[in-house]
Amino acid sequence: MAARYYDGVTAEVQEVMLKITSQELVIYRPADSGVVARWPVADLSVLGDSHHEAVPPVAIRGSEARLVVEDLAWRKQLASLVPALKSLALEPVPVAPRLAGFSVAIVALVGIFWSAIEYGTEYAVPLLPYTLQAKLGETVLDELLADKEECQGRAGVTAINRLANDLAREAGYKHEVTVHIVEGGPVNAFTLPGSILVFYSDLIDQARDSSQVAGVLAHEIGHVVHDHPIKGVVRAYGLDLLIKVLSGGYSDILSTFGTGGSALLAMRNGRAFEREADATGVRLLEQRGLRADGVSSFFQQMLDKEPEDAATSAGIWSSHPPTKERIEATKRPATGRPAFSAAEWQALRNVCK
Amino acid sequence: MMLLTLGWSRFWGRTRIRRYVWNHLSVLGDRFEYRGRGRELMIGFVLALLMVGAWGCLMYVVWLYVFHEKPFASFGLFDLFSLSVVLIGFPLAYVGHYAGLRYKLSRTRWRGIRCGMAGSAWRYGAIATFLQFANASTAYLLTPVVSVNLARPRIVNARVGTQDFAFAGRAGDIYGRYIGYYFLNIAAWIAAGIATFAAIGGTLESLGFSPDDFLKLLSRPNLSTVVVVLLIAFGAYLLFGLLILPLRCWWQAYLLRYLVTHSRAGNVLFATALSTWQMWGFLVLNYLILLVTLGIGWPWVMHRTMKLIAGQLWIYGAPQGSTIQQPTDLGPTYGEGLLDMFDVSGV
Repeated sequence: MAARYYDGVTAEVQEVMLKITSQELVIYRPADSGVVARWPVADLSVLGDSHHEAVPPVAIRGSEARLVVEDLAWRKQLASLVPALKSLALEPVPVAPRLAGFSVAIVALVGIFWSAIEYGTEYAVPLLPYTLQAKLGETVLDELLADKEECQGRAGVTAINRLANDLAREAGYKHEVTVHIVEGGPVNAFTLPGSILVFYSDLIDQARDSSQVAGVLAHEIGHVVHDHPIKGVVRAYGLDLLIKVLSGGYSDILSTFGTGGSALLAMRNGRAFEREADATGVRLLEQRGLRADGVSSFFQQMLDKEPEDAATSAGIWSSHPPTKERIEATKRPATGRPAFSAAEWQALRNVCK
Repeated sequence: MMLLTLGWSRFWGRTRIRRYVWNHLSVLGDRFEYRGRGRELMIGFVLALLMVGAWGCLMYVVWLYVFHEKPFASFGLFDLFSLSVVLIGFPLAYVGHYAGLRYKLSRTRWRGIRCGMAGSAWRYGAIATFLQFANASTAYLLTPVVSVNLARPRIVNARVGTQDFAFAGRAGDIYGRYIGYYFLNIAAWIAAGIATFAAIGGTLESLGFSPDDFLKLLSRPNLSTVVVVLLIAFGAYLLFGLLILPLRCWWQAYLLRYLVTHSRAGNVLFATALSTWQMWGFLVLNYLILLVTLGIGWPWVMHRTMKLIAGQLWIYGAPQGSTIQQPTDLGPTYGEGLLDMFDVSGV
């Protein structure tokens, strides 16, 4: 049995022969049969295994010396004689069945993870500590208010907060909603984690009547009661993690595709959330016997101002459904009580003055 | 496993891959061994995470007492953390690169002799940061200086046991080729840009599309849109592969030949005749493999890379085994935390 012997002290290599007895492995030079080393069988081990290495070396405890047996038949013979060396003779694992198995497993696991992210967020998000969500929302709000002025008109702020919490309670929402009004534009409002709403004063200024502001507020409450902000974050993070884990971080190409894919999915989620918030907002207003035509009329007003609807132009890349679709979906008769009293509406109009 | 363990199994996976790759490489008939452990990589990563966490806490304290509700209030916590990561992340990536190389070498054995790497990773990081900054400031005209001066510490500090490596390269030797590449590269990109715009514009016009029509098509894609986008992407890849990549290989292959042929270990000389077209063909196929398999075919790419190295690296002279001793230094006890943090470790 031929092998290469490294003494572990220098980089000299010796071509040796091996002889195995019940007690020891004798390593000797073939030229003069001079013994190079005697290794007790009880102290023998294999460094690694032949699943992962072509020729794993044999070593002895307490020494850096190694023995390398290149010939497979001899390695098998050695392994059969010394049980401690059985990993020397493992057959390489056939690639094709393993590859097929792993591929099926990966596809199945990706499917499971995907479903967990897409549908599991519905059940997981309510379990997230509310204080954490609130902290996140407050941090974002702080960043936003760093270079913007918040409107301080107390009566106006009280009015909008009163309606917001009435609508939230109508939906069975347990936490307090806080509405902040920021001076200036754009003509927009949005929701942050932790039941924080931000309205821009330009939206209030440009609204034709109080039902429009109430409609937009109800839409935002729809986002709040369905936990859309935190769901969006969890889904986006979950998908990003799935792609990174899949590619092992080794693939810029997969990451690039993943980034585009994540963006498209975020847009798809965004459109679904917007539709849900529209429907919920209108429903809450109707349940409280309030005018529910505000959202539709507000969208129509915006569309009249900007006939080139950005949401329609962007198609699958838009985070909002086409405005015409939203107008039709939220169209209601102008019946019901006004959401704000005349005094409240006046206070809201003057909230930044 | 990566999916089930949310990526934490990568340390053991990487270790197994290295064991396979190292053991299938041999020099003078003697195979390499890799004796690193997944646990060591994980510890290194956790330590790097703790370091970043500590840095984050420090930034929070700085933000709280210096910026929050002060005249610089618009400079938020996230801005501060991002800026600090850019400032320290850049040099740390190089520190991590050197430290990672040192770890890999310390776990590599040839003829049972441990390899190693001397020198300071922090010094390397500082030099690399300075050189890269200087290079960027001079429109990358210092690239040969950077290449040679970053290769030098990596080569001369590497060891096989007590056998050092030597490097006799000078940046001045390779400037001629680099200047040629520099200006030809600019011309190639201009030509590629003109060709791309002409091709896209011409194609759209011949199909009767205006740019607005094309944007509308992208917002509502159907199968033919997807096919068109794929064709455009393939066209761009072809253009890059035919115009830009050969030039890059012309420089990179030359640099590699220079660095290899100017290195030696005692009386062992190294050489390679890797040509521009060999490198070009190799890279084109690698890119295609990664593109078609969305990156999952990287083991195939890695295998091809190792085969190329093994086939194209020649050694003249034989080492005197008796003079190469086992070193007493065992190397770092954990590895590659920073390298993993900055996601540049690969294998």
